[in-house]
Amino acid sequence: MSGRNPGAVLDLESLSKVRVNTQAVLKRAQHIQGLKLPKKQWQAAWLLKAVSCIDLTTLAGDDTPSNVHRLCMKAIQPVRYDLLKKLDMHDKGLTTAAVCVYPSRVADASKSLKAANSGLPVASVATGFPAGQTPLETRLQEVRTAVRDGAAEIDIVINRTLALTGQWEVHMSQWESAGMLLKAETSESASHPLSIPTGSDFIKTSTGKEAVNATYPVTIVMARAIRDYYLRTGHKVGFKPAGGIRTAQESLVWLNLIKEELGDDWLCPHLFRLGASSLLADIERQIYHYVTGQYAAYHELPMA
Amino acid sequence: VMADSNKKVFDIFQSMEEGPSAASSAASAWLDHHSRSLGLFMDGKFVRPAGRQNISLSDSKGAKLCSIVCAEDEDISQCASSAASGYTSWSGLTCSQRSKVLLRLVGVLGLHGQCLSELCALSEASCSPSALVRLLQYYSSWAQLRDTLIPSWTSVGVVVVVSSDDCSLYSLMLKVLPAVAMGNSVIVVPGRSAAPPVLLLAQLFSGAGLPAGTLNILTGSDVTLGAKVSQNASVSYITYTGNKQDGLTLCKAAAGAGLPVSVSQCIGATCPFIIFESADIDSAVDEVIQIAFKKKKEVHWVLCVQESVAESLAARLKLRMASMKCVPLNSEGDRVLVEAAVKEAQQQGATLIQPCSAGPSVTQYPPTVLCGAAPSSPYVVSPPPGPLLPLLTFRSNTEAVALGNHSPHGHAASIWTEDLTLALETAKSLSVGLVWVNSSCVSDPCLPLHIYISDFMQGLYQFLRPSWSPVRPRSAPVAMDYSKFGTEPTQAVIPDDHRSVFNSFLQFVGGKACKSVSGCSVAVQAPGGGNVLGFCPDGGRKDVRNAVEAAIKAQPGWMKKSPSARAQSLYSLAKGLESKKKDVSASVSTQLGVSVEEADKEVELSVARLNVWAAYCDKLQGGSLPMPQSGAALSFPEALGVVGIILPDKYPLLSMVTVLGAAIATGNAVVMVPSQRFPLPALAFIQVLQSSDLPAGLVNIITGNPELLTVALANHSVIKAIWYWGRAEGCQYLQYSCTSPLKTLRLFCQKDEEASDAGADWTRTDASLLEDLWRNAVQWKSVWIPSA
Repeated sequence: MSGRNPGAVLDLESLSKVRVNTQAVLKRAQHIQGLKLPKKQWQAAWLLKAVSCIDLTTLAGDDTPSNVHRLCMKAIQPVRYDLLKKLDMHDKGLTTAAVCVYPSRVADASKSLKAANSGLPVASVATGFPAGQTPLETRLQEVRTAVRDGAAEIDIVINRTLALTGQWEVHMSQWESAGMLLKAETSESASHPLSIPTGSDFIKTSTGKEAVNATYPVTIVMARAIRDYYLRTGHKVGFKPAGGIRTAQESLVWLNLIKEELGDDWLCPHLFRLGASSLLADIERQIYHYVTGQYAAYHELPMA
Repeated sequence: VMADSNKKVFDIFQSMEEGPSAASSAASAWLDHHSRSLGLFMDGKFVRPAGRQNISLSDSKGAKLCSIVCAEDEDISQCASSAASGYTSWSGLTCSQRSKVLLRLVGVLGLHGQCLSELCALSEASCSPSALVRLLQYYSSWAQLRDTLIPSWTSVGVVVVVSSDDCSLYSLMLKVLPAVAMGNSVIVVPGRSAAPPVLLLAQLFSGAGLPAGTLNILTGSDVTLGAKVSQNASVSYITYTGNKQDGLTLCKAAAGAGLPVSVSQCIGATCPFIIFESADIDSAVDEVIQIAFKKKKEVHWVLCVQESVAESLAARLKLRMASMKCVPLNSEGDRVLVEAAVKEAQQQGATLIQPCSAGPSVTQYPPTVLCGAAPSSPYVVSPPPGPLLPLLTFRSNTEAVALGNHSPHGHAASIWTEDLTLALETAKSLSVGLVWVNSSCVSDPCLPLHIYISDFMQGLYQFLRPSWSPVRPRSAPVAMDYSKFGTEPTQAVIPDDHRSVFNSFLQFVGGKACKSVSGCSVAVQAPGGGNVLGFCPDGGRKDVRNAVEAAIKAQPGWMKKSPSARAQSLYSLAKGLESKKKDVSASVSTQLGVSVEEADKEVELSVARLNVWAAYCDKLQGGSLPMPQSGAALSFPEALGVVGIILPDKYPLLSMVTVLGAAIATGNAVVMVPSQRFPLPALAFIQVLQSSDLPAGLVNIITGNPELLTVALANHSVIKAIWYWGRAEGCQYLQYSCTSPLKTLRLFCQKDEEASDAGADWTRTDASLLEDLWRNAVQWKSVWIPSA
């Protein structure tokens, strides 16, 4: 990782010149989806790469210490040991990238991971997730609490009221006052070029709780913003699609997309995360199939 | 390959490389079934004549793919008779029966699409089965509606479709399928890369119920096989698609066969890719990367970028190209050419954007952008092979158009801007046949591609003829010295006691009645010979030059006039003719030796004809095209420019106003040469032109030796088209000579003894007579503006 994003001056004028031709972006997305996907051991390797980029997530109202604990344990051993051994990957320290929980569950997750001697980071959605419609003070307090309880990464929701009404300056000053920011999320792709200069290390497609979440065309536009920022400052900002990514096949398309749009540099947990909960199970089944030649029943693989 | 399959998961996990692509099995199995040696296809089956020379084809990796047969004369005549009988059975079906058969072929493609696409990939003749399905569906509906929507037109007969070695299967089928759909039978003479897949298609189609003999394939070593096929008496039309060089070879080889040859250059043209500052730059960059560095690229792109965004575009290109690998070249020799071009560019100060340096492999070269190119750079003027992309910058919108129009090819252009007005204005001003806005390389049968230069009859019409028109008389090419054609001096007029006062006529150049530059005259004989009726100027090369100069000045303004303003001018021209009826009628009567009543009738018909053309002016319009994707596809008829016309003998006045009306109603300027035998009506018409409000120079009339004038017209690059009524030698001369630049030719062979001009009856009032004429006087421009 090339260090934290130091932020940059917000240049609204150059941003206003950015044009997006929707059909061209849709065509590009279609082209990327049509690219051939790797097969055989290449597929297995790519799937394991996807595993290493997962923010294994539980964001439910009924989360308790026990299911958060199970999640943490699964994150530490995401694929059955014997399967990894067959691939000679058992001793390569393969884990998911992080676990992602609500602020109130950060303490539980840190405790579980610490007990298991794992340095896996805990990520937390803070700032009035998913709507972000709580007062600034409350949102800041949420971040402070999560950090105090052991969160290493914060997924924040930008203030879409301000974003959609064009009050960027107000929005940015609020943000800067927040101080510690890691991942910015929204469903309005237009706001992303603007969230980067404030110093976020990742931008995220959406909260995962919207009707439409991570789509390829939106991602292409966001990847352009990342490229543009890289060209202007030399700093690499990460990318996290979230919501609706459920199958191993889709995770391969995502890797392909990032490879095509941002390059191999981005294919690592420092710059690419997949926000998902059920994806891991499907990837593990595919790995099982690659290793054994059989399709696994769900109960054959350990649950999260 | 072994090294690949031993790759460890952990290594791939770290490098994140892509795996090898799957091997093709269906295509190989098909080739193996044919013992890797493909025959000719005629009478609905493969034929493998013994004792023929074979050509070995190799696949994209250089391995042997299969061999094809070199057809000989015997095979050609067998194939021609197969096609002739195929034409009888195929054209004997009803429209809906033909349409049904074409639709059935779609099902076959569904079944064997995999085999076809593998074979296309192996032989580098790119064509996706889905694109072929689209072609079949599009043309099957035209087959169904031919008689309904294009009444009084009929199929031409046996059509020969020739393609060059580098032509894709798609471009080839873009000719074959409309020809078949219109009820013709086809002999395909494919280039090397398209040969294996088109043979497979012929087999599939034949199995699906296309009558035997409808689709025939002859393979050979080069395009001259196409010319040999065209000598066969049963062939009626020959059309070519592919690179320019082979097209010219074919034109020259086929000259004099009495066949119309249409040439579409779909390969090797230079096309501008214009990026304005108002563009979605990232999408433009994506597109450039996708199209510009392919191993097989059909056109040479020149990147034209507005100066204000050039720097940021170059930075983006650099970033996006970083992960690209070297591109395979067609041959080892190409590497030398590419390196020489790059070195020369660098010496002239061009900077390179390259993802990696050129490796040791002599058959590869990295994708390279040459920044700092200029229209005068040698690698822009004649693009070398290989993955090179010149990048030019421009300052203003008008300069972008000027740069785009600098290329002589006029094929297609891609323009990138989010500003709709700018897009439409630029599209209008570019002299290319197809403009893609915010996209590129979109092909569809309803978007007429590569028609700007010579293949101007929109899609279907080139495979149809008006039902009243007789089948063209075929001729055999004669041995002639092309350099001697039209050089025979005309007989000088010497003072003679027996001739006293004679009418001396003037020609019409640049809006003025004048003598010829040489000052000489020729005598006009009365019908039947003997009697001299008067003298007309003996025009030559310089008169043609002056007329073309005047025409090129007048034409752009005339074209810019609103259609209704052009209509008013034509109405007043008709009115002018009516008011001079007496004089003109007298000249017709004197010239042809017919009664005054008969002459009056011709003048009346001519007035009526001009009125019809006047009315047509604002009816000849394009429209929106039915593209299958969302967006706006527009087509506009545009004038050709300056048209040279050698007028027919028959109905000298009526035929003249008919072709003149067609040309100027559609916005062209003309240089006309009246019939040598009957020039007087045309010369009498000059007074009508003089009193009209047509811009000076729009219509020019030059008299004299038609052969000499034909040569002068043929050798003037400004003249875009020549319509010729005259001797067979003239037709042959024009076909042979009008190749650089390629002109569009309409040739009608008329025999001296009978004043018949290939049967055109000028008194007819059929819509198809006029349609045939105006469709040949325009070129179509299509603009594709995709939207989400």
